[in-house]
Amino acid sequence: MREFIDQWGDILWEGAIQTFQMTSISLIIAILIGIPLGVAVVLTRPGQLLANRFFYQVLNIIINIVRSIPFIILLFFIIPFTKFIVGTTIGVEGIIVPLVLYTAPYIARLMETALLEVDHGVIEAYKAMGMKRGQIIWHVLLREARPSIILGLTLATVSLIGATAMAGLVGGGGLGDIAYRYGFQQYETPLMYVVVILLILLVQVLQTVGNKWSAHLKRD
Amino acid sequence: MIELKNIEKNFVSNKKVVTAVRDVNLTVPAGEIHGVIGYSGAGKSTLIRCVNLLEQPSKGQVLIDGKDLTKLSASGLRKVRSKVGMIFQHFNLLKTVTVYENIAIPLKLAGVPKKELGARVQKYLQIVGLEDRATNYPAQLSGGQKQRVAIARALSLEPTILLSDEATSALDPETTDSILDLLLKINRELGITILLITHEMNVIQKICDHVYVMENGSVVEQGSTIELFTNPQHATTRKFLNTISQRQLSDSLIDSLHVTGDVTRLTFVGASTGQPALAEISKRFAVTPNILAANIIELKNGIVGNITVHLEGDDAAREQALQYLEQSGIQVEQLGGLVYA
Repeated sequence: MREFIDQWGDILWEGAIQTFQMTSISLIIAILIGIPLGVAVVLTRPGQLLANRFFYQVLNIIINIVRSIPFIILLFFIIPFTKFIVGTTIGVEGIIVPLVLYTAPYIARLMETALLEVDHGVIEAYKAMGMKRGQIIWHVLLREARPSIILGLTLATVSLIGATAMAGLVGGGGLGDIAYRYGFQQYETPLMYVVVILLILLVQVLQTVGNKWSAHLKRD
Repeated sequence: MIELKNIEKNFVSNKKVVTAVRDVNLTVPAGEIHGVIGYSGAGKSTLIRCVNLLEQPSKGQVLIDGKDLTKLSASGLRKVRSKVGMIFQHFNLLKTVTVYENIAIPLKLAGVPKKELGARVQKYLQIVGLEDRATNYPAQLSGGQKQRVAIARALSLEPTILLSDEATSALDPETTDSILDLLLKINRELGITILLITHEMNVIQKICDHVYVMENGSVVEQGSTIELFTNPQHATTRKFLNTISQRQLSDSLIDSLHVTGDVTRLTFVGASTGQPALAEISKRFAVTPNILAANIIELKNGIVGNITVHLEGDDAAREQALQYLEQSGIQVEQLGGLVYA
């Protein structure tokens, strides 16, 4: 045990930090893009507050296109774009761009489902009280959707952690990379097990926190 | 005051134009409670949603206190809307916040100063009788309590008009009564004008001054509640009245009453309910009234009594008796025609 920690402790710690960095930075950026995108998709739907068939269809097609590309392919496919945005295609910075591009449309879809669950009657009630559209979006739509938004973001985070495992391919590092490089390629099987257990624990904790938080907000 | 002038609303579905409301005219003077009754699909919901332009009428004018809403800018319309409260069948509360916040959030958004907020919320919670429920969440309340919160939310913006879209339709009869009492109280104490739609005749009976009966998008009959209860003209109105007290007797029912001759319904309104009319006719004319059924309906502005009688006696005596009754202000109506056993 001691020996294992002495040998791999630093590497694992560094990997965990990298995973955390990749996940949190891309998650934040993906949320900043994904939530407004999801709101836009819902609001431009026929019959909604900003109904616009053309805009709605365009958003839908864009989201579908990006969502149909597997992450591993997206990673290489957008190399020129990544280089243009952050100036490099390797390391933690290099992987953030594809991770965001992968996660943001996913979050947008999850937000769409979450927001569509909000009772249209409440929106109507606020309209009848003379509230502005912006007020209704923020104080009714997003507020009432919070429990589902939290569940959706938990889901997105878990899938994001999975995607970071592929980050090793562009030198992004992280826990998944350690499991692949040392565990699989160099036959350090115990290390691979440890990484897998760490990832399982991480996902369990995340999902539990997400579920509890959502249930707390739901007030049923 | 609410005035609807020649309101028409068309919907286009599958390239076909469906007219939900056609040429409806309606005036609710300040301080009165008017009700629109109709079966589902009659267009009453569309009609009430035209009043605050949740539904934009295809034709016609909507005037609130003389101001034509269809000509207002978006911000002008919002301003009017904040003074026209609305309550709904399914309450439409925010589920993720407390009762207090359900009332406070719209107030905050409407720009009510922070220091007045608490007192304002308390005041209206008290009016609806839920002052001890401020920290509860909607899921912890009964249907009637949720509707009370919705009413408090609507009232807290201090409107002069309240629109009620089937507000009691999801509630049991006892809760319905308590909500109707509350609506009557806010009408009397706060002077709020109310326009409501319903499919329940007892809602009309208990709180309305004036009724509109709607069918296929048109108002087929209207009048004061007493007029409608005593002298209904349209078949639909009669059908609704039947839900309160059976007006039409079926042939088999008359048959089973084992009577020969006319079955007559006598309707008494207000003052005439005090007269001993039947005793009088049996004394004056050679007829014997046989009471088959009787009931009394308490309306918001009066009392209506009904007696279904079978008169025994020869034709001339019966005719004289009925004439006498009509002259004493009692409405006489033949039911089921002549029946011979």
